[in-house]
Amino acid sequence: MGKVIAVISGKGGVGKTTTTANIGLGIAMHKRKCVVVDFDIGQRNLDMILGLENRVVYDVVQVMDKEVSLKQALIKSKEQEHLYFLAASQTKDKSVLDSQKIKELIEELRNEFEFIILDAPAGIESGYEHTIEFCDAAIIVVNPEVSSIRDADRAIGILDSKSQKVKDGGEVEKYLIINRINVSMLQGGEMLKSEDILDILGINLLGKVPEDRGIIDASNRGKPIILNQKSEAGAAFNRIAARLCGEEIPLKDLENPSSGLLKKITGIFK
Amino acid sequence: MHNFLLEVFLKSKQYSVKVYETNIVDEDKFITFFEKYKLLFVDYLIVINGALPQKAREYLEANSIYYLVNVMLPRAKEHKVVIQALEDEKQQNQLEQQKAQEKLEELSHRLQNNLKVIDTLVRSGVELVVEQDLLLLGRLNSGATIRCSGNLIVTQVVEGSIYCEGNFMMLSASKKATIVFHGVQVDVSLLAEKLHRIEFENGKISIKPV
Repeated sequence: MGKVIAVISGKGGVGKTTTTANIGLGIAMHKRKCVVVDFDIGQRNLDMILGLENRVVYDVVQVMDKEVSLKQALIKSKEQEHLYFLAASQTKDKSVLDSQKIKELIEELRNEFEFIILDAPAGIESGYEHTIEFCDAAIIVVNPEVSSIRDADRAIGILDSKSQKVKDGGEVEKYLIINRINVSMLQGGEMLKSEDILDILGINLLGKVPEDRGIIDASNRGKPIILNQKSEAGAAFNRIAARLCGEEIPLKDLENPSSGLLKKITGIFK
Repeated sequence: MHNFLLEVFLKSKQYSVKVYETNIVDEDKFITFFEKYKLLFVDYLIVINGALPQKAREYLEANSIYYLVNVMLPRAKEHKVVIQALEDEKQQNQLEQQKAQEKLEELSHRLQNNLKVIDTLVRSGVELVVEQDLLLLGRLNSGATIRCSGNLIVTQVVEGSIYCEGNFMMLSASKKATIVFHGVQVDVSLLAEKLHRIEFENGKISIKPV
């Protein structure tokens, strides 16, 4: 029985889709059968990040409406045999989502995969509520700035009141990823510190990902940053994926990087 | 004269009447008392000394009770039954007073135990309405609201909104917070760093660090 993880944020543009793509790929790289599902109905973009847009024939709505079978719609990655992908509809919108149909799809996916990662839409509307409805866990992606934190807080509140697991008396596991950490801004006091963020949101930290300009290029080329050996962000996603697979990896202190020596050297040349 | 009296005597009746004489200080009490002992006074003539207030008058009329106002009647011995009724009334009053006292004690006891304790954080978008005293041990996040009609104590820094109508509040607030006490917005810069006690003193809002 697979684990269903929804990737949420409340605020848009903080890196949900990038995170979903990289974590999904990371889990597959750890040899676990994983499917990533784009639940942003009407705004398909997970396919682009994964470099799979030219392979999309059928979408998740068609599967739920029983127009096509799951097997027909699932796209298996050619680069990573454990990674599968289910695209969002681009023509329809969130109003086509139906709880019963989603429940059946999730059950079918649970039987097939170890990890089912759902890329939620931004906001707290019905599209979001449908995505979190049947999840076992949620990864909350934030940027270290106030509006992202407040929106995430709201989204978590809704998760804790509307998901099926909570209605059945349980609790959805919640994990935090602080994304797009700009180290120099942090040190200059211009960004929220991790401890403050954890205080406000009251959930466990899964990982921290530094800002990386290479991510834009990675998206454009459809090659997720985790594949880039030289990228700090990529390395961070790798650590996160490993933790999800059960490995114990200590958190890297991104806020005080070991660039002290480099600073001293540049100081000499000034 | 003798003939006249005989005349009167043959065509008339002569009998004694029981009188209950009182003056009405509190017409509601009078009516309540009368209602209770209505059966006892069935054969009585009620004599009111002093003023007969409207409500009392209407009550007597409505219940077909015979009454006279401000008459000096020749007195006979006071009837024992009336005294007994008065004694009973005294006792009843004592009982009622006792009951009222007990009720008051019960109420204050309840208030002391009527403290709501919340030890989870309150998330953005949540609005808590509390009709009793509240002790909040968790955070009040930005975008969250508490409306409390009782007293309020918050142990962690407040970043959300608080509307309190109680006797006092105890909290510390960040500059993001909105703190309103009995409809008056409190300057949050006065509530920084540590717990402050906010209450009314001499008609003005007083803020003292704890």
